Amino acid sequence: MALNRSSSQENMNDLHPDNPIHSIEMSDIWKQFSDVVANHGVDLQLHAGEVHALLGENGAGKTTLMKILSGYYRPDAGSVLINGQRVEFSSPAAAMRAGIGIVHQHFHLIETMTAAENIHLGWNDTPWVISNRKLIERMEAINRKFGMKVDTSAKVWQLSVGEQQRVEILRVLARGAKVLILDEPTAVLTPQEADELFQVMHSLAATGRIIVFISHKLDEVCKVSDRVTILRKGMNIETCQTCDCTPRSLARMMIGYDLISRQNRSKNTADIDALELRGVSALNDRGLIALKDINLKLKSGEILGIAGVAGNGQRELAELIAGLRPVTQGQMLLKGVDRTGDSPSDLALDGIGHVPEDRYNMGLVLEMTIMENAIMRNYKTHPISRAGFQNKIEAERFTNLLVEQSDVRTSGIQVPVQNLSGGNQQKLLVTREMHTATSVLIAVHPTRGLDVAATENVRNFLVHYRNNGGGVLLISEDLDEVLLMSDRILVIYEGQIMGEFDAAYVDKVDKEEIGLQMGGKRKGIKT
Amino acid sequence: MTESKTDLKAFLARYHLQRRPTVQPWLLILVKILAVVIAFLCIGLFIELNGLSAPDMAGRAIKSTLGSTFGLQQIAQLATPLILTGLASAICIKMRLWNIGAEGHLYMGAWAATAIGLHWTAPAWAVFPAMFIAGALAGAIWMLVPAIARALWDVNEIITTLMLNFVAILWVNIFAINIWRDNIVLRSSLRIPYNLPKLFGSLNIGILIAMGLAILLALFLGKTNFGYEVKLIGLNRRAAEYVGMAVKKNILIVMLIAGAIAGICGVVEVTGSAHRLNSFLSNRYGYTGILVAIIANANMIGTIFAGLLFSFIMNIGIVLQAQGLSAYTVVFSTGLILLLVAIGDMLSRYQLVKVLINNHPPKEATPKLPSDEEPAELNE
Repeated sequence: MALNRSSSQENMNDLHPDNPIHSIEMSDIWKQFSDVVANHGVDLQLHAGEVHALLGENGAGKTTLMKILSGYYRPDAGSVLINGQRVEFSSPAAAMRAGIGIVHQHFHLIETMTAAENIHLGWNDTPWVISNRKLIERMEAINRKFGMKVDTSAKVWQLSVGEQQRVEILRVLARGAKVLILDEPTAVLTPQEADELFQVMHSLAATGRIIVFISHKLDEVCKVSDRVTILRKGMNIETCQTCDCTPRSLARMMIGYDLISRQNRSKNTADIDALELRGVSALNDRGLIALKDINLKLKSGEILGIAGVAGNGQRELAELIAGLRPVTQGQMLLKGVDRTGDSPSDLALDGIGHVPEDRYNMGLVLEMTIMENAIMRNYKTHPISRAGFQNKIEAERFTNLLVEQSDVRTSGIQVPVQNLSGGNQQKLLVTREMHTATSVLIAVHPTRGLDVAATENVRNFLVHYRNNGGGVLLISEDLDEVLLMSDRILVIYEGQIMGEFDAAYVDKVDKEEIGLQMGGKRKGIKT
Repeated sequence: MTESKTDLKAFLARYHLQRRPTVQPWLLILVKILAVVIAFLCIGLFIELNGLSAPDMAGRAIKSTLGSTFGLQQIAQLATPLILTGLASAICIKMRLWNIGAEGHLYMGAWAATAIGLHWTAPAWAVFPAMFIAGALAGAIWMLVPAIARALWDVNEIITTLMLNFVAILWVNIFAINIWRDNIVLRSSLRIPYNLPKLFGSLNIGILIAMGLAILLALFLGKTNFGYEVKLIGLNRRAAEYVGMAVKKNILIVMLIAGAIAGICGVVEVTGSAHRLNSFLSNRYGYTGILVAIIANANMIGTIFAGLLFSFIMNIGIVLQAQGLSAYTVVFSTGLILLLVAIGDMLSRYQLVKVLINNHPPKEATPKLPSDEEPAELNE
């Protein structure tokens, strides 16, 4: 602690907490995580009194860049200048002392404590001994100073999400933040709460603070920010005045122009609806509406791609079809038969396979062996199970078949799955689910985090499955992957289907349109 | 002074502990043996400091435990309840559940056996099976409320099972002090007119029941669909739900089995060694059983060996006490062994790795090779 303080003072000569920050300049920032380059020589200038939006797809490097600015990460290369003076932060606390504070997408509050206690926790200004009355007085002073209303005595778990966020913002402001970074602050808010937040952002900017606003909602960016910097694949594409931009031009910069050449594949002749959703709605884990009146048809022998920014109902959609999430409204039909509300094991028995988003915590049990993971779907069915007992010989036979088909490189089938590489794990999982899926395969981010070769393998598996008459519902954040793989594309935004595209004929205009819809703009709606 | 400090800091900064992805089973066993050996050396030193001869004491302790038939019988006798309560804890740990209630289930099992023993006159071959069934049922019923609460509403089983222990002891006391009171023996019931058959000497067949149950459970968990489900649910509940396993039903079943095993333990204790129902027949076996299960890594067969080891240590304690070592020293010794085993177990899951440090990022803008510490940050 003491060490941190002295080292940050060395490069903080005239960055006294009371001195204003006029400008911040990040130049040529590089940051690499194992084999992923998150920031590719990014430049960013911030001026006092502005709301600056950072716009980009998932994985574009927005959060990494801001974590570098706020002391969570150190850049591999590049420099950060505050008022023209170079700084290096050894910790988030050091950045906070220099006046840079971040409010994370997922709050870091202690739910069983009051707002006042949360704000005073781990703060140098908090007296060693303080009465509850004094604490509340101090809290009210903070409320007054920043013109925000937070219930001082309620426990955090009793507050709404919007109020919790205000506690987070106040915590950062109370510590003297002159730069406030908000990481996707509206993702968890209702529209009213979001509007209130925007007012707060404007009034804070008016006092000479710098507000950095990370988002991928085009609407909000246009509405709130003074300037906007667009990141794509770890590189900054452009910084411009928001008033010069339209949602269309922003979408174009965000997702890029390049079209990917698609491989030729056999034409789908069958016209059977493998899966149909009729007016389906569902809730998310917090009990809010995640899917609204979804209608979709998945034919046998086609890949239906779902394009969208993460958190717009994709996970809920996959879980709903797999039987893991209750349907609150509407019907789900599998091969024309109503299967709404059936259990995951029943649906799996009748041919729905599911490659879940989170293969480490859901699709596979890392501590178990390859064999134990391979039989996860059919351990209860003949011949692997006989009268309640496991038949090891049959289990081994099935596992060897799976390992051979999935081309998993392993020294044996009794090896724990965690000893396999990520690519081999995913190949095993996808092959197992293809065995399960006699009619529909749901694949969520099937190639996320895989290297080039494994990505190629998994994609080939999916195309092969499609060509053999299976229906694939491909859910991916990677728009290029959706464009490359799908026969048809649906765009999802805030739990609703925005539009449908024939993937074989997607041109530049269409791609731009998909980008617009992913950002919540339909065709023909003016900005 | 300052220089040596910075040297040390630089040295420490170069290494850090990293969790091993997998731990080899032999390493876990080796570390445990090593921990016990170190603990014995420490205790020896302590005995020497007390002015007694450590080798002499060790010799006598070994002679009167491992070196005599009576000593071996005593070890097996004491190991019986430790193995049984150990199994009751271990099967729950497999499901990531902490069963603190074996003590209470033991008492309820003993109570049920006493009820049959005192009120039913029949040949022993009929009475004993009835006692075991009633004891198992009583233990399972005592677990019913915590099991349902845990399975359906996620109520923390540590609190519920622990609290019910006190209720069980009070329940037993009502009968021991009041209803079945013996006017000669204080705070105990009348003598049960049935004795658990002896294996040889003073040793009863309880040890066979304990070992048999351990082997049976090992086979059950290793060979059946149910065992596969228990393992999978324990390791990854979300994966179990993903393939549609009946997680709640399995939690219920496993907890009830645990209650039944501890209930059987109560039957063995009350008919095999205590012969009267009272509120002190358990000698805290229910709680020691948790430690046995932990030392055994929740392995069913391992529980047999851990139970025997514990019994050995406790018997040595009794012998040393007779040799003039204070009771506190004995308690200290058992505590030390447990502590060292736990530390060893923890440390064997980590390894020391050298860190690549880079203090000064290069000025020129070239992407750097990945360094070892970064993936951890990505995972956050």
